[in-house]
Amino acid sequence: MDFHYSAEDERFRQDARGWITANLPPGWGRDVHEPEDEHARYMGRLAWEKKLYHGGWAGLAWPREYGGQGATLVQQAILAEELARAGAPEGLNIIGRNLTAPTLMHHGTEAQRRRFLPKILSCEEVWCQGFSEPNAGSDLAALRTTAIRDGDHFVVNGQKTWTSFAQYAQWCFMLVRTDPAAPRHKGISFLLVDMRTPGITVRPLRQISGESEFNETFLDNVRVPAENLVGALNGGWAIAMTTLTYERGPEDALARQIRFSRDLDRLLDVARTQRRHGAPAIDDPVLRQKLAGAVIEVEIMRLNCLRSFSRLLQGKPLGPEASFQKLYWSHMAQRLYETALETLGATAPLAAGDPATPAGGLFQTGFLQSRAFTIYSGTSEIQRNIIAERVLGMPK
Amino acid sequence: MNFDFSAEQIMVQDSVRSYLADAWSMARLRRLIEDDGDGFDAALWDGLAALGLPAILVPEALGGLGLGFVDLALVLEECGRALVPGPLVETMIATDAIVRFGTEAQRLALLPGIAAGRLRVVPAIVESGDAPLATPLAGGWSLSGHRMLVPWAAQADKLLVAVRFAADAAAGLVIVDPQQAGVSLRAETLFDPTARAFDVSFDRVVFGAAEVLGGGPSAAAVERIGDAGAVAAAAQMCGIAARMLDLAVAYACQRVQFGRPIGAFQAIKHRCADMLVQLESGRTAAYFATWALASAAPEAVRAVSMAKAYCGDASRFICNETIQIHGGVGFAWELDLHLYLRRAKTLEYSYGDATAHRERLLGAVLAGREAA
Repeated sequence: MDFHYSAEDERFRQDARGWITANLPPGWGRDVHEPEDEHARYMGRLAWEKKLYHGGWAGLAWPREYGGQGATLVQQAILAEELARAGAPEGLNIIGRNLTAPTLMHHGTEAQRRRFLPKILSCEEVWCQGFSEPNAGSDLAALRTTAIRDGDHFVVNGQKTWTSFAQYAQWCFMLVRTDPAAPRHKGISFLLVDMRTPGITVRPLRQISGESEFNETFLDNVRVPAENLVGALNGGWAIAMTTLTYERGPEDALARQIRFSRDLDRLLDVARTQRRHGAPAIDDPVLRQKLAGAVIEVEIMRLNCLRSFSRLLQGKPLGPEASFQKLYWSHMAQRLYETALETLGATAPLAAGDPATPAGGLFQTGFLQSRAFTIYSGTSEIQRNIIAERVLGMPK
Repeated sequence: MNFDFSAEQIMVQDSVRSYLADAWSMARLRRLIEDDGDGFDAALWDGLAALGLPAILVPEALGGLGLGFVDLALVLEECGRALVPGPLVETMIATDAIVRFGTEAQRLALLPGIAAGRLRVVPAIVESGDAPLATPLAGGWSLSGHRMLVPWAAQADKLLVAVRFAADAAAGLVIVDPQQAGVSLRAETLFDPTARAFDVSFDRVVFGAAEVLGGGPSAAAVERIGDAGAVAAAAQMCGIAARMLDLAVAYACQRVQFGRPIGAFQAIKHRCADMLVQLESGRTAAYFATWALASAAPEAVRAVSMAKAYCGDASRFICNETIQIHGGVGFAWELDLHLYLRRAKTLEYSYGDATAHRERLLGAVLAGREAA
């Protein structure tokens, strides 16, 4: 056990820090912020992600043959820390990088990897995820979208929902029913679908935060080349489990941790300026306990990620423990934003847009967004089933 | 950057676990409850000493293994899991302070004996409202006051007493022989009947610089022994919580109600999943804290307080829920659950409880931000 970084890693950190400083606009995070407008914000994120790619910072730990840098997971974590320190924007192609890519590395053909992976890194192709349907949420295997073989194509019909970033995506990986007669889990296949194919309609859904990150996606006789099948026909369920493991895994969690850590830092500033009972809020002993609890939980989230990285570095597979990461951070983040609103106290009802709200409404938005954390990529109830049944060995 | 234990560290854990499985049992532990004597299990002490546990932190030149706090982490967890009674862990905590702060003469006098399992040293640092005060005297000091909850004081060869020095208002650790004139012990009645602790009074106990750890007052030594104790408590709580979760899961899989094992009900299995999340997050914090202590990292204060606060809350949740999952038998004296509960509760309030550590951590974080 050693949390010191090697000299090489420290050099890497300095390089990363230097590059980030040189490439973010001057005054970033202080007088220059991400745009309020959602579309402009996402376009800005995409531009930043492309900039990172051209600077050689994308896919650090990916193999070189797929456009990666062949660096270590530790260096990837260092880069993430440095991006956070600078308050750099998040990316837009998170689903491509964190979900499509590892899924194809595990289950794709060599041709699929060479076709898709480099363009994920370069952000020429943004990805979305077509798993959930109106009647297949927690019970994902109930999905009904069909794909019927027709010559060298599949013809896809049905509806997907909660499709994040579908309006910006060129590609979607999708679970489809290819054998309606087979037992539920054994008739599902994993398809890669070009979002520009005729027959696809995307309709944005408004979220409780007011944002429209996710969408309904309608599929009407969409023709998908058969070569875009990943793995075996009707073998999609096992592949989806790989995807979900990465969705819940430490790389995804670390990127989020950094955002929580940044918001927490901002919160500690706000706690000093907000007043409560005629004194700075930070002097209130009850609030101090909660803020300290938040500091502890956010730091443990980071360490939990590093602990998982160590397992991965030893070549141990990421298994159902990924559910543990997701269950931990989702509830932690909800407590964090509740504490943030408590810190705002009487000013909590002010929202983004009001000049008097502290931190520009960051915490109100974070609070609303956090309600989704325990729902998406598998509700907490599903994660608990997975942990109880597959880690603890309890009966179904 | 590496968050893993080495193969050797895991081997030591395995050897401690298998020794305890063979040589130690809850039945043996229960004898300590009925025992009116000193409660000290000499055979267990000798066995664990033969395995080399008290020698872990002692430098090789002084007959020890020359290892650090990280090497102790999994051993401490096993001690918790098996409810190993003191004063083994207490001696390890004191050893850490002696290794770091002792003068050459003090290290020579104490550490070889500790490594060989001949000498038991325990901390006497719990605040009691009448903290021992050292007033200057020709050639030394005179010590009066008392410390409560001194673990296994009657079985200890030396106490490391946290003392205030009147002259310069400094703090320090003083090596006191519990048999020395002016020292008196009152056995305390404890929540954990398998533990022993004493209220120790000091009445004009005379000592010189040779008895002050490091040769003079050292607030750092007092803070360090508290930190070592807090991390040792956090690691032991992880061990107890892990054992409790094992028991909860095993019981839930075997107990049938409404025609099914109760572990098939989500009300039970979901709780067990939450217990696992807290257990593993507690381990993450405790392991990191052992590293921070071992490497004297700048974030040590924060790491220690984080571990003690989080593990205290996690252990509380896991122990309470394990009893709940057992239903009626969970409340029965004959089941061992309450013994784990009592030990865990004691550790939860030893070396600073979660509330105190949260406040300490926030203070450190805010001070760090001021400085930055």
